[in-house]
Amino acid sequence: MPLDQEESYDIQTVLAKMRDEYWHGLAEQETGAEEIMDCLVFMLGGERHAFETRHACEVIRVPRLVKVPAVQDLIKGVFNLRGEITAAMDVRPLLGLPQPELGPAGRIIVVKSEHFATGILAEAALGVQGLPLEQFEPSHPGSSLDRRRLVRGHFNTDDGATILLDLEALLTSPEIMVGAD
Amino acid sequence: MGKRYIEIFCREAEEHLASLQSGLLVLEKHPTRMSLLHELLRNAHTLKGSARMVGLSDISAITHTMEEQLKGMEQGNRPVDAPAIDLLLKGTDAVALITSALSKGEPPPLDVEAFVADYERGEVGRSLASVEPQEVIPDQLSETVRANVKSLDALVNLIGEMIINKKRLEAKLTRLRGIEREVEGTAADLLVPFRRDLEEDILYLDYLIAELHQKAMELRMFPLKSICDGFERMVRDLAQAQGKEVRLETVGANIEMDRVLLEGLKPMLIHLLTNAVCHGIEPPDQRESKGKSRQGSVRITARHEGSSVVVEVRDDGKGMDPVRIKAAAVARGLIDQRDAEAMRDEEALYLTLRPGFSTAEVVTDVAGRGVGMDVVKKNVERIKGNLTMTSQVGSHTEISLQLPLSLSVLDALIVASGGETFAIPINYVQEILRVGEDEITPLGGSEVIKVRGTTTPVYSLSDVLELPRRQLLPGARLTALVLKLCDQRIAFTVDAHLGNSEVVVKGLGKQFRNVTFLFGATILGDGNPALILNVPDLYSAVAEQTRPGLQKSWEVKVQQRVLVVDDSITTRTMEQSILTANGYLVETAVCGEDALEKAAVRDFDLVISDVEMPGINGFQLTRQLRATDRHRETPVIIVSSLSRDEDKRQAMEAGAQAYIVKGSFDQGMLLETVQMLIG
Repeated sequence: MPLDQEESYDIQTVLAKMRDEYWHGLAEQETGAEEIMDCLVFMLGGERHAFETRHACEVIRVPRLVKVPAVQDLIKGVFNLRGEITAAMDVRPLLGLPQPELGPAGRIIVVKSEHFATGILAEAALGVQGLPLEQFEPSHPGSSLDRRRLVRGHFNTDDGATILLDLEALLTSPEIMVGAD
Repeated sequence: MGKRYIEIFCREAEEHLASLQSGLLVLEKHPTRMSLLHELLRNAHTLKGSARMVGLSDISAITHTMEEQLKGMEQGNRPVDAPAIDLLLKGTDAVALITSALSKGEPPPLDVEAFVADYERGEVGRSLASVEPQEVIPDQLSETVRANVKSLDALVNLIGEMIINKKRLEAKLTRLRGIEREVEGTAADLLVPFRRDLEEDILYLDYLIAELHQKAMELRMFPLKSICDGFERMVRDLAQAQGKEVRLETVGANIEMDRVLLEGLKPMLIHLLTNAVCHGIEPPDQRESKGKSRQGSVRITARHEGSSVVVEVRDDGKGMDPVRIKAAAVARGLIDQRDAEAMRDEEALYLTLRPGFSTAEVVTDVAGRGVGMDVVKKNVERIKGNLTMTSQVGSHTEISLQLPLSLSVLDALIVASGGETFAIPINYVQEILRVGEDEITPLGGSEVIKVRGTTTPVYSLSDVLELPRRQLLPGARLTALVLKLCDQRIAFTVDAHLGNSEVVVKGLGKQFRNVTFLFGATILGDGNPALILNVPDLYSAVAEQTRPGLQKSWEVKVQQRVLVVDDSITTRTMEQSILTANGYLVETAVCGEDALEKAAVRDFDLVISDVEMPGINGFQLTRQLRATDRHRETPVIIVSSLSRDEDKRQAMEAGAQAYIVKGSFDQGMLLETVQMLIG
């Protein structure tokens, strides 16, 4: 039965093609998953900084900050985040960065640690970007101790370097806690 | 009591029961072996203590009678023979029965009261045999329901949010009135009735929220009498121990207060009552010779005063002598002779509240828990209260605590200072004045004003808080708030006062562990936060005469290390988990020797010890710790099931700072005492 023969022959090729496509697709997926890290990118001390999106809660315009007496300089004040009193911190001195004035592009990045939500002041927020891990370089041992503690390394992207912060280390730093136990 | 502790207890009990049983059988054969008898006594004693600790009164009752019998044997008053051993074995059987029921979550399988009665008569066969399962009576439907405290707190918080939201609506209404003035023509004709309708709606909403808030608060309110239960007994026992006659009266026990506040009030009242009986009331003969009745009187009075509750403790004892207090304060280096001479008599009474004044009394404090008046003051401040003292030598002493009804909403004065808005709890505010430049006069390095003829120190609030100071035009007058704390008046100048408001108290979040000057924050009608000032902090800042900001320190305080010494694993585990949960580092030792070894190589900030342990006891341990350089000053808390005054005295003599009886042991008590001693 010629028709049957032809059909079975066809099925073989179709199957082989499908198999090829399947393997190809799989390979693509794997390389894709390895290459990109989704990060929130923002400006601190005139440089691009980032941390993984899972730490970020939201980005808001800088509201009126109420100054808190007798606390460290890092705490710039508190603001009302939907009924919760939340601190706004300027972490730039901790990272050894300059502190240019915050203009209209200034934002507060609200992040959540295990125990509290807090705000990080940034000169601008540049949004979520997928950063290629291929271009990642860990901190070199020559940088200062404080920096090495809080910075994991940087990405060499086309438009310059993006520094990857260790947000967990930052949020558990004693420097950001107010008052003794 | 947590299930976990019960489980730990059951495991521990099994061990003790096993050694009791095997030991008793050996004792039967060797009735003269005193060391074994002593070992058994300790087993029974530890079992009793642990049972008390986890609130198992049945087991502690049985083990108590067993302990009494063993003591009698040890002292030679009771025979060590077969019937006696038999009785003791029956006791261990009964305890084993109860523990096994406990671990299965069943009710105790025997009538403990009857058993103990039979035990004391020496015939236990009957009650132990008649183990009948008790019929469980189903809970009747009643008028009340059980509510989780957390749900109640959440309810109150949500209503707090509603109050804030209502304030925002009110602020919008004010803006609408402004818009109304700008608008003309038909638009205005439409706007005016609309605004009036809205006003009415908001007013109605206001009533509803106020009522809702009150109802929700009532759910958390308890009468004062709910904490007064043990007071009469305590006063009676204390008086008896001192050979005094004292009557305790309570007036206004039905006054209701927030649960949280009551919890804070109880230890303070215990302390004040103890002071009244031990230091206030004179011995009967002395009273008689002064023409007083032999029986002294201590009275607790509670009443409402505005939006606060005033609780007074008054005794008709010998009163507080300002001359002697001043002399003691000078002797302890708290003030110098010149200060003492300048000090008014009423002011001198408050010297007793200074830390360091009462600590010197601790060792001789017969019945106290070893904690001074300064701690009472600190606790009153913690719950935003005010403490005042009045006394007349030879006649009476009265300590009055003014407390807010609740901590979740408070009446506050809103002020502007240094470019920020602050709320100050109204119960501290005496009056608001306007002062001109010429009314402020320098005096001894600081500045004062005259308030109704009284010289009152004055400070700029923004300076104290280290905020920028506003420049005043010549001739402008300053607004000054006169605050009162413990009878001391201080004026603080502010940029403006913006009126009274009921504010919802919010915490600052966990990033702020404790912040000088602040008690919390609230959210104003415009949606911005305002910080609520902690008045006692303002007072200490100006008293220390230093710029307050200099004291801030953000280095992380080292965790405090506590050594828990107890031969009972239940007690050890319980104390350890209470302390660990509250941020202390805990090490444990199973006996006094073990503790000494551990203390020799490491600094501890606090030691908590049992009394009866194998080897050296808790008093000896305390003494030996005191003899070392490393732990000469380390506070020691004795936790024991011995509640006799003699034991407390021994503890104090050994150098312990506090004494907690296991029977009255609860988590709060231990933690409070620890916090009082090491913060």
